[in-house]
Amino acid sequence: MTDIAQPADDYLVKVEGLTKNFPITKGIIFQREVAAVHAVDNISFEVKSGETLGLVGESGCGKSTTARLLLKLIEPSAGKIWFEGEEISGFSRSQMRRLRSEMQMIFQDPYASLNPRQTVGQIVGAPFKIHKTEGEGKKKVQELMDRVGLNPEHYNRYPHEFSGGQRQRIGVARALALRPKLIVCDEPVSALDVSIQAQILNLLEDLQDEFKLTYVFISHDLRVVQHISDRIAVMYLGRIVEVAEATELYKNPKHPYTAALLSAVPKGHSDSSGSERIVLEGDVPSPIDPPPGCPFHPRCPKAHQVGGPDGVPENCRTEFPPLDEVDPDHIAACWYPLEQGEKLQQAAHA
Amino acid sequence: MSTETLLEVKDLRVHFPTGDGLVKAVDGLSFTVDRGDTFGIVGESGSGKSVTNLTALGLTDRNAANITGEVLFKGRDLLKLGKEDLRKIRGKEMAMIFQDPFSCLHPFYRVGDQIVEAILCHDKIPKKQAEQRTYDLLGAVGIPKPKERFRDFPHQYSGGMRQRAMIAMAMAHNPDLLIADEPTTALDVTVQAQILDLIERVKTEFDIGVILITHDLGVVSEVANKVMVMYAGRAVEMGTRDEVFGNPQHPYTWGLLESIPHVDHKGSKLVPIEGAPPSLIRTPNGCSFHPRCPHRFDPCDKDDPEIKDRGAGHPDACHLSAAEKTRVWAERQAPRTKAAS
Repeated sequence: MTDIAQPADDYLVKVEGLTKNFPITKGIIFQREVAAVHAVDNISFEVKSGETLGLVGESGCGKSTTARLLLKLIEPSAGKIWFEGEEISGFSRSQMRRLRSEMQMIFQDPYASLNPRQTVGQIVGAPFKIHKTEGEGKKKVQELMDRVGLNPEHYNRYPHEFSGGQRQRIGVARALALRPKLIVCDEPVSALDVSIQAQILNLLEDLQDEFKLTYVFISHDLRVVQHISDRIAVMYLGRIVEVAEATELYKNPKHPYTAALLSAVPKGHSDSSGSERIVLEGDVPSPIDPPPGCPFHPRCPKAHQVGGPDGVPENCRTEFPPLDEVDPDHIAACWYPLEQGEKLQQAAHA
Repeated sequence: MSTETLLEVKDLRVHFPTGDGLVKAVDGLSFTVDRGDTFGIVGESGSGKSVTNLTALGLTDRNAANITGEVLFKGRDLLKLGKEDLRKIRGKEMAMIFQDPFSCLHPFYRVGDQIVEAILCHDKIPKKQAEQRTYDLLGAVGIPKPKERFRDFPHQYSGGMRQRAMIAMAMAHNPDLLIADEPTTALDVTVQAQILDLIERVKTEFDIGVILITHDLGVVSEVANKVMVMYAGRAVEMGTRDEVFGNPQHPYTWGLLESIPHVDHKGSKLVPIEGAPPSLIRTPNGCSFHPRCPHRFDPCDKDDPEIKDRGAGHPDACHLSAAEKTRVWAERQAPRTKAAS
């Protein structure tokens, strides 16, 4: 299928208007839908071959739902997904099966994502069994274990005999087994201690170079995403609010939410930028009943700044701003994007 | 600001005998916290951060653990106090906020009532008065419409609000020392910023001492004025924030600093600490960090380095000489500074 795709289309994955609503029902027998959680709301993005796309956002913003939709582990409510130029959004389970070896996932919790009753050999060997690949299973598994930094002699050990970092390595080996093109990493390091985190991040980077992998890397930790990603998409309440190249996003955030998120990251002592934290008021609104217009407007310092004494401007309150190119290769969904070097009001007194 | 010593821990050892052997969770730890301090304790899981503070509060089961040393709180040794005396101090003179705001509030009781209960257990005042104080407290920690929110159940609060309620409860008796055990780990980064600000504000307003336990060096470097780095139940480095982060002395501190992805150093590889933390049952001979340390030399696997000032102006536990450390750390930093420029 790859050959059919137009040469200009170097996207491995592309999604358009992807939406997922989870219905909330009432009643036991006669269930009726009373509301819906708008987990992912009309998002579009592309992942280029060989790149790492970072997805950041706070809990409940739809990062993990997006990951599951990409792999079609759950069915989208609307929208289209292309994988290697082929539209897969309408694929049935059996049609997907063929593609599963091309797309894999690494999960957050290395304690819950490994079957405690299977040995490492069985866990890492499972993909070979399922996809009925030829050759010596054990040897392949041991090569993989060696590649991700596990001792191949531990083939017959159980997950509980390993530390957190080692378990995450098992998860990586399993994802890598069938030489996929795309690996979706859903918070792969957030359960690990910092010194171990760095080991796993380095491993993921090495593997990407070696096997020409494409990553979709999900994390709530901006420092980690910043480190590993080529491009970053920022999500807020089920929507993508900004996409840009990683350094550009950090140096020149356009969306006020991105700016606030960046400023909230503890800087560490050596940082000399001296910028003041922008502390956002309140909490993320509920995705059951998201605010109309721009979902960020109730908390947005910029909107309050623009509106002045009249409150938040009309268009922020009523209309969702389109994801427009603000700078070359830098898109943001905001009616009043920040200028380069512009400080938000709260930061002004710094 | 006054420099009254609030908490002084002297050679604290907490050992748990288990079927597999003796777990040395805390092994010879000494530090002091003054009024007005934000004392940051950093370390990875299992380094003894939490056990230290639970023991200080008398929450470690004395029958299950062998505890030696002294924990002096305003001059009184807490380890020698009986249950009743401890109860009078806990919650009143020293209070704690925990990591998980989801499991610290009872799901069946209204948030306000839980705070009232905390007030009434030390102060014999009319309930009405306690309720009034709860409104004030909830308002002080930034919960909007405290009178309405008083009647809410914990599940109606968001994570950040629950942590605020926990802080309100901890501050109910205006304690002298607030122990915050990973107060922001379970929270999102924007909410984390709110809570850190709040703790800082509470500290100045009430003029108390704060112990902040965390695994996040970023958090510590932002809010703490004194820092202690722990590894395998011991302190490996201790000093003011500027000393520890500006002139780190211990290879473990170096490793931690280098493990954090840094926005300015994008493109350069992370330098992880090889291996994993040791089991607390069989800690290595000599310096417990030596199997993972790239700079180990002759005495490291035999002599256990004590924590003392080795010429850098603040104490650390590493055999290398201060001059040697300055050289090695500069060398390790060189590639990163290059990448940044």
